[in-house]
Amino acid sequence: MYNKIIFLAESVPKGRVFAIDTQTLISIGIQLLNGIILAVALGFILYKPLKNFMQKRTERIQSQIDDTDAKMAEAKELMAEYNRKIDDISKERIEILEDARLKADNERKIILEEARQEADEIKKRSLESVLADEKHLLEETRLTIIELASLMAEKYIAQTIDQETQNKIFNETLAQMEGAKWQD
Amino acid sequence: MNLEIDNLWVINIAGVEIWITETIYNTWIIMLILIVLAVIIRFKLKNFKIVPKGFQSLIEGAMETFDNFADNTLGEGFSDIVPWFFMVFVFILSSCLFSVFGLRAPTADWATTFALALASFVIMIFMGFKHQKGKYLKTFFEPNFIFFPLNLIGELAKPVSLSFRLFGNMLSGTIILTLYYALTPLFVQIGIPALLHTFFDVIFGALQTYIFVIISLMYIRGAAE
Repeated sequence: MYNKIIFLAESVPKGRVFAIDTQTLISIGIQLLNGIILAVALGFILYKPLKNFMQKRTERIQSQIDDTDAKMAEAKELMAEYNRKIDDISKERIEILEDARLKADNERKIILEEARQEADEIKKRSLESVLADEKHLLEETRLTIIELASLMAEKYIAQTIDQETQNKIFNETLAQMEGAKWQD
Repeated sequence: MNLEIDNLWVINIAGVEIWITETIYNTWIIMLILIVLAVIIRFKLKNFKIVPKGFQSLIEGAMETFDNFADNTLGEGFSDIVPWFFMVFVFILSSCLFSVFGLRAPTADWATTFALALASFVIMIFMGFKHQKGKYLKTFFEPNFIFFPLNLIGELAKPVSLSFRLFGNMLSGTIILTLYYALTPLFVQIGIPALLHTFFDVIFGALQTYIFVIISLMYIRGAAE
């Protein structure tokens, strides 16, 4: 392709590898201009938009990370608050239970004391009743024995002594019994 | 492929003869390719997703790698000049890859490399005055004012050395490949040149691109600090 172009431009000077002359200075100027044009073009078309895109994405991701961190901190705070509340509830529960236990203990002691007192009262009343019954029975037994002894003595006396002796002994016995009763 | 930089046209503007060389022509081709690629990427940018994949990942990776490289070398406060060096990097690398197709790389012409080095030199001086103000001028007289000529020559030598380094390396690859194509029989010119092109154009080219850009950035940082 180049040969064709060179062929078409017959007056074109021969090429060279290196030289420092006016044409080299012109070439430097053109290449500098080319460089500036390319730098501006690449900068505006590619570098800056791509850099902005990456920058915005970094900022967006950073913002999301910050939001997440803030939410995480908030969640941790809430968690701590809930834990505190749970601890408070637990303490309250223990206090309520302890209170209830103490109340129940007191109630139990009161009920036991009342029951003991009632039992003592019943026992006392029963004892008194038993003693009264015992006394009553003893009195009844004594009277029965007296009656039986009287009947036996009456029958014996009826068989062995007359009416006069009988009256005399009866009177003496009655006198003795009255004397014994008085002593009791 | 020949060693000389051919002249394709001669334009006469206001009595001044301007040679349109093979280098300038190839530069325009590379510029056109790069601008078309940039436009394609720009259009694809509209469909770029938050999570990059495939092509987007490649483009973003390249951009991020270059940005990190520039930021690490220059430091803070030089973001305005990064697009220029992005262009320099892309252009030199494209030029090297361009010669893989048997075409002459624009960087194998001293006019191109000096133009790029001169631009870096101008940026260096501008950044030196911008960041150090009057102190930058004082550095030319350090440690003593008698060192001014040496310091001045040292500064002026920077674009020259920068341009000749890239030019020499690129030209050496071109010369070796030209000699190879000229001196070897046809049957050896199949397959083996691919390895030579890979070494001189791709590997050497990428290395020289990196060296040119990093040295330019270091000159600028040195002037600004």
